[in-house]
Amino acid sequence: MIKAGRSAAVLAALAAAALSLTACGGDDGGSGGKELKLWHYEAPDSAMGKAWNEAIKEFEATHPGVKVKFEEKGFEQIQKTAPMVLNSKNAPDIMEYNKGNATAGSLSKQGLLTDLTSEVTKRGWDKLISPNVQVTAKYDAKGTMGGDKWFGVPNYAEYLQVYYNKDLFKKNDVEIPKTYAELTAAMDKFVEKGVTPLTNAGAEYMAHQFVYQLALDKADRPWVDAFQRYTAKANFNDPAWTYGATTFADWVKKGYVAKNSVSLKAEDAGVAFMSGKFPMMFSGSWWFGRVAAEAKFDWETSTWPGAKMTLGSGGNLWVVPKGSENKKLAYDFIDITMKKKVQNILGNAGGVPVAADQSAITDEKAKKLMADFDGLTRSDGLAYYPDWPVAGFYDVWVSQIQKLMNGESPSKVLGNVQKAYDDGLPK
Amino acid sequence: MTATLPKKSSAPPRAGRDAPHRRRRGPSAYAVLVALAAFAGVMLIPFVVVVFNALKTPEELTSHGPLSPPDGFNLDTMRAFWERTDFGHVLLNSVLISGSVAVLAVLLSVLNAYALGIGRIKGRMWVLVLLLMANTVPQEALVYPLYYLSKQVGLYDTRLSVIIVFTVIQSAFGTYLMASVLSAFPRPLLEAARIDGAGRWQVLWRVVVPVVRPTLSVLLVFFFVWTWNEFLIPMTFLISNENQTVSVALGVLHGQKLMDTTMSSAASLLGLLPTVVFFLIFQRTLSRGLTAGAIK
Repeated sequence: MIKAGRSAAVLAALAAAALSLTACGGDDGGSGGKELKLWHYEAPDSAMGKAWNEAIKEFEATHPGVKVKFEEKGFEQIQKTAPMVLNSKNAPDIMEYNKGNATAGSLSKQGLLTDLTSEVTKRGWDKLISPNVQVTAKYDAKGTMGGDKWFGVPNYAEYLQVYYNKDLFKKNDVEIPKTYAELTAAMDKFVEKGVTPLTNAGAEYMAHQFVYQLALDKADRPWVDAFQRYTAKANFNDPAWTYGATTFADWVKKGYVAKNSVSLKAEDAGVAFMSGKFPMMFSGSWWFGRVAAEAKFDWETSTWPGAKMTLGSGGNLWVVPKGSENKKLAYDFIDITMKKKVQNILGNAGGVPVAADQSAITDEKAKKLMADFDGLTRSDGLAYYPDWPVAGFYDVWVSQIQKLMNGESPSKVLGNVQKAYDDGLPK
Repeated sequence: MTATLPKKSSAPPRAGRDAPHRRRRGPSAYAVLVALAAFAGVMLIPFVVVVFNALKTPEELTSHGPLSPPDGFNLDTMRAFWERTDFGHVLLNSVLISGSVAVLAVLLSVLNAYALGIGRIKGRMWVLVLLLMANTVPQEALVYPLYYLSKQVGLYDTRLSVIIVFTVIQSAFGTYLMASVLSAFPRPLLEAARIDGAGRWQVLWRVVVPVVRPTLSVLLVFFFVWTWNEFLIPMTFLISNENQTVSVALGVLHGQKLMDTTMSSAASLLGLLPTVVFFLIFQRTLSRGLTAGAIK
């Protein structure tokens, strides 16, 4: 009896606590114009995290009486729940979201994002962002990128480059390559001396990005558009793809890429490079800040030797959900992030800004990072990423290129990729 | 009054316990002991690696790899994570949700099982089959219907929604288990109580519950730990940071392309400790509950 009474009391207390907590959790929103609810998923010490933190301060200074309610989110949470969140009254006023057909494109098609076109032209953001970077911000009625309406604004960009460990190059008496021929010659030298030249991760994006880069070496812009924007039928048995897959398989055989990297994750590959085990890493500008902070050797970056096109695109987008209650404030915030001050912070912190002042970037390596990117946008050299065109393509690439590394024939692997691509094309 | 029943069942184990006592001196017993110790050591390796990495700086991790012991006792990553996610609040959310679910689900299970196992209502077989089937439905299939329901009743993005959902999910299993436990409940005990003039309600609280108390505490611990570790439904339903649970807050550290190994380790250690503490505390009441049941 006494025992039953006690547990009932505990129960009642818990239930009461639950109710009171839900009651105080429910009263956010609806405070028209007093609060900007902002979500993003960049780490506080990343280039974007630092720049946007500054933007929040600046926003609060220029908008007295308005508080920014910032919440840092997990990438996975935003990816998986965005359609549900945006369809409810709990949506934020402004948030960061992934660019691409399967993400921002799909949300825009469902009518969950605000069309920003008039705001973009009014505030002149379209003049700040180069056309090559704009592609991932604009979508058509089917949600395909490169359309006519702006559904997001990219604050930064990203592209793939080769990170060189200069100490290892010096120690093995190898020159840093400028052309593709020099690259293979340099790799031959490293292999001779028993050093694997390239770090690689077969279980994640790194391996198939090699294949795409090698294919891009033999491709042109219409080829990219056909593959990424469905302007024509993509054929995976064409010379470019065949060259890409065959060459990469060849590289594995020659030992440019370690065969046992087939099961490694990108994190392992990056850490292995940063601890000085490999002379080269071919990966994204998202590693830049970390290499700068953690590598203990002399290093430099450059675009893929001799490439006209390389993997890269505008970064993630600021989107304004359809249900945003403070759209005007959201636009003001985007405007601040596009201003020189915030853009320069982004650049100096190792990000690739889209509208920074080159002369304000003080760090030499960051300057090179930005100059290389400018070169790419001027020559229309951003070719996006191979896993973008259809949903679920990433996993197909990873498993097929793992097969390729394990000795499957290139034509068979490309045939499987073609099948997944054709099955996944938007109808 | 019915002391004979439990006593009978407790007598043979005691005899059995004496038997291995003599055998323990043999070499085979030592071999088993060594093997078990080695096994426990192997089981602890992941835990040790997590502790090592939690105490490292990112630079140390990069230069020495994940398996090396840390140079010093660096608690900065842990502190940084605590502040970044307002972890105290997140812990409170998790304790509140898991605690409420554990208590409510056990209560619901007992009430259901009383009807099914002791009340022997008609069609109980089918009810149990239904509950078992409900248990096999993957949570991914539940997410969308639950999302629409909770939006309809205005519970989306509240802790209460998660408490309700998990109370039902956990008690489906609890009912199934308790129903079979109670169907084997000693009938004479019930009859004696009824002869003494106890009603249904009194039989439940003063006879049935005290006897099955050990099983209930085990269920309570399980429900707490299971709910604590849930990820998908809390992630979908608790979208505001102020409602987040521990497992959802850990997700903040996995970026799109990069991850922070040292901070993830520090964070998982922080997230893990409360469940271990909870388990240790209840481990003691479990054994106490066991003896209490035997006296009754």
